[in-house]
Amino acid sequence: MTRKGGEKMKFKVLYYVNQFFGQVGGEDKAGMAPEFKEEAVGPAMGFNGLLQGEGEVIGTIICGDNFFNENKEEALEFIMNIIKEKQPDIVVAGPAFNAGRYGMACAGVAKAVVDELNIPVVSGMYEENPGVEACKSKAIVVKTADSAAGMREALPVMANITKKLVKGEELGLPEEEGYIPQGKRLTVFAEKRGSQRAVEMLLARLNGGEFKTELPMPEFDKVDPAPAIKDLSKATIALVTSGGIVPNGNPDRIQSASAQKWGKYDVSQRDALTGEYYTIHGGYDPVYANEIPDRVVPLDVLKEFEKEGVIGKVYDYFYTTTGTGTSVANATKFGTEIGKELKEAGVDGVILTST
Amino acid sequence: MKLELRRIHIKDIQLGNETAVKDGVLTVNAEELINLLKEDERIKDVKIDVARPGEKTRIIPVKDVIEPRVKIEGKGKGFPGVTSKMEQAGEGKVNVLYGAAVVTVGDIVGFQEGVIDMWGEGAKWTPFSKTYNLVVDITPVEGLQPHIHEETVRLAGLKAAEYVGEAGRDVEPDEVLVYEMGSHAEESKKYPDLPKVVYVEMLISQGLLHDGYVYGVNTQQILPTLLHPNEEIDGAVISGNCVAACDKITTYQHQNNSVILDLYEQHGKTINFLGVILTPELTTLDGKFRTCDYTAKLCKMLGADGVIVSEEGYGNPDSDLLMICKRLENAGIKTVLITDECSGWDGMSQPLADTTKEAVAVVSTGNVSHVVTLEPADKVIGDDKAIATLAGGWEGCLEEDGSMKCELNAVIGSTSEIGYHYCTAKLY
Amino acid sequence: MDKSLNYKIVTNNPRVKENYKEVIFIDGSFEDVLLRVRDLVHKGYELISHPLGASIRVIFSPYRSIIIGKKLNEINETHVEIIESSIQSYRNLMQRRKPDTKNSEDYAFIDNELLKSSLEEFRRIYIN
Repeated sequence: MTRKGGEKMKFKVLYYVNQFFGQVGGEDKAGMAPEFKEEAVGPAMGFNGLLQGEGEVIGTIICGDNFFNENKEEALEFIMNIIKEKQPDIVVAGPAFNAGRYGMACAGVAKAVVDELNIPVVSGMYEENPGVEACKSKAIVVKTADSAAGMREALPVMANITKKLVKGEELGLPEEEGYIPQGKRLTVFAEKRGSQRAVEMLLARLNGGEFKTELPMPEFDKVDPAPAIKDLSKATIALVTSGGIVPNGNPDRIQSASAQKWGKYDVSQRDALTGEYYTIHGGYDPVYANEIPDRVVPLDVLKEFEKEGVIGKVYDYFYTTTGTGTSVANATKFGTEIGKELKEAGVDGVILTST
Repeated sequence: MKLELRRIHIKDIQLGNETAVKDGVLTVNAEELINLLKEDERIKDVKIDVARPGEKTRIIPVKDVIEPRVKIEGKGKGFPGVTSKMEQAGEGKVNVLYGAAVVTVGDIVGFQEGVIDMWGEGAKWTPFSKTYNLVVDITPVEGLQPHIHEETVRLAGLKAAEYVGEAGRDVEPDEVLVYEMGSHAEESKKYPDLPKVVYVEMLISQGLLHDGYVYGVNTQQILPTLLHPNEEIDGAVISGNCVAACDKITTYQHQNNSVILDLYEQHGKTINFLGVILTPELTTLDGKFRTCDYTAKLCKMLGADGVIVSEEGYGNPDSDLLMICKRLENAGIKTVLITDECSGWDGMSQPLADTTKEAVAVVSTGNVSHVVTLEPADKVIGDDKAIATLAGGWEGCLEEDGSMKCELNAVIGSTSEIGYHYCTAKLY
Repeated sequence: MDKSLNYKIVTNNPRVKENYKEVIFIDGSFEDVLLRVRDLVHKGYELISHPLGASIRVIFSPYRSIIIGKKLNEINETHVEIIESSIQSYRNLMQRRKPDTKNSEDYAFIDNELLKSSLEEFRRIYIN
């Protein structure tokens, strides 16, 4: 990257942050549409300094987390146009730490930029941020702490990787470079042959020492199924969904992605959801669900079954939240809370719908 | 039992008027060898060739690789129960032409692959690019039943290795390795405090092209069997596996089983090596349950503290591997598994479809679907058509300059699940 | 000859169809055979032989024969796990690959041979 006269050109970084780190506002500004500032804003400033003149941040895109997740197409159109115009060598997003919606937004940007423009993307997130799963194979996501207190540690790692990627240098192992493994198994040559490594691993195990498996088994979350309902015609059945079906207007402000809460709505007086319910789920095409929300939460059919005596009763309330981008920790929490209520209410069975 | 493996370091190989070793150079009288092999009336024609490390030579499709040796002292010779009368293997003195190998080529069916490239990118992925190879190409008489064809080629390869091995009979070795191990009682008395380790060696035992033999007995018929490690490194186990190029245990690799050798290295120092359990990989589920239960029971009866389990093949043997692991771990025996993985061309697929949470210590010998580029060879020994099989299967693997992309699973010994080679996979 | 043995062969191999009576013939691919076996196992049929071969080469085969047994009273969870993970393994390995149809006849032959060995094994351990 040299100009005539031997002066080295700096590589161009386009930075993406949300409304908070973009210094516009907090939760109240989460619905702001994306804006572009031709300067480094928020963490982009510190990041810029870390590039030590090798590169520079040519501008910052600021976008509200809710806006991005609820208006993905529109947000991406704006963002991609800026990127196509400014032609950065690399895009940096976040770090989002453990903020789920921010992480999902960074992931959305990363996927679009990598897939459509073939420009590398670097981000930073806490391991459990749902945004990690959504984009780790496309972008390089640096492993950060779970809160903004980790900003000072995260930025240098992100800057370092950014420099390497722009220069086309190969990245070392994730644990060496500080990023979350992309999930790529690379076949390489080891120093010692397989049997030797096996013998050493066994010795470590026999002597209570530390060892590292070369093929980590996936995490298992085995849940024992509850015993079957003996008599369905006497049972109370409740509906629970992660399809994001909420009353018109979304009175409880359940998030479109990376849900922080669940809602509970009285359907005892209704025969179907159509008319007063719609979907706020940011992860699927809403047209059919908005037409007839019972397609996602089959209240209509269940009420028929109640009339026909197939089931005893439809529970008075149905429970709802949004599954997309919701962390495992939150999902577990919601499940436990909702389950407790259902159990105390004497519900016998649940139909849980997802999308 | 005490076995001396006396290595004569081979530095070159050539065809000539005699079969002898002088100053590390192995000369083979091709005509004599061919006549010997043709004593088997089922063989119509034999072609002999050599391939040296560094030459732009490709050998394909490889059936088996065997190390040429000769027993100069002690009972038995060759491969007892197969090429010679049944004798107890594992004792005596054996001269080894170390660095030489007999490679048999020729396919029983058209889809066999198995490539050894002696130079370039391909050479990195097979251990046999470093050996001086005597390639034996056997053409059987017409109309032979495939079972008989396979047997004929198998025996011919072993006989060829014996014939070549004879050349080392009166040669002084460059190094002598002694493998000595007494009974369990004796060894445990010597090393009461060392942890007891067993090696469970799984062997494909499923039928035509997928066979293994111990003292000539087809392993499809055996129950898991306890072997003294000396027996395997003295020729008691041979390969009838003609297909799984990347992870089959060639006869050479039985004779030089790396798990056995590496465990033996530690015997008396850090472990008390109790021996080898040869475990057949069967096809029926009940057969698998029986073998896995039996294997675990043997380990328990032996009082093993730790077990290394190696696999042969891909697909149904993965089930056996994990079943054995589960049973051992639940019995309090610590395991280490050695297996290859399939993570797709881009390395992004889930490496093992079959999983169990007890498998906490696994050595990976590489991704079988990893794509390597093989440059065009100057010389091909074997069957040109097999290259089409190698290159076939998907679009765009034959390049314009004649080089081709092929998956690692077609390269002999690349992802050896006895950990013979150096491939592994790392998570990036 | 095999009247006492209760089994069926799920296969897409025309050679096997010729040689055996108790055949559920699938007019489709290797994967189609796997999927049918999966459906049958979910319906409670016993899985006798492992759905996959033991070498990568025979997994590239266009033909596959799998032995299933009698219908059980309950679905066998282990059998379900095995067929499901076999389908996953198969798809993992194949990805963009196509089954090797150039050597179809040879594969048909080997599949038949391996089936023979499996059946022999089955006969030896069969318990009514």
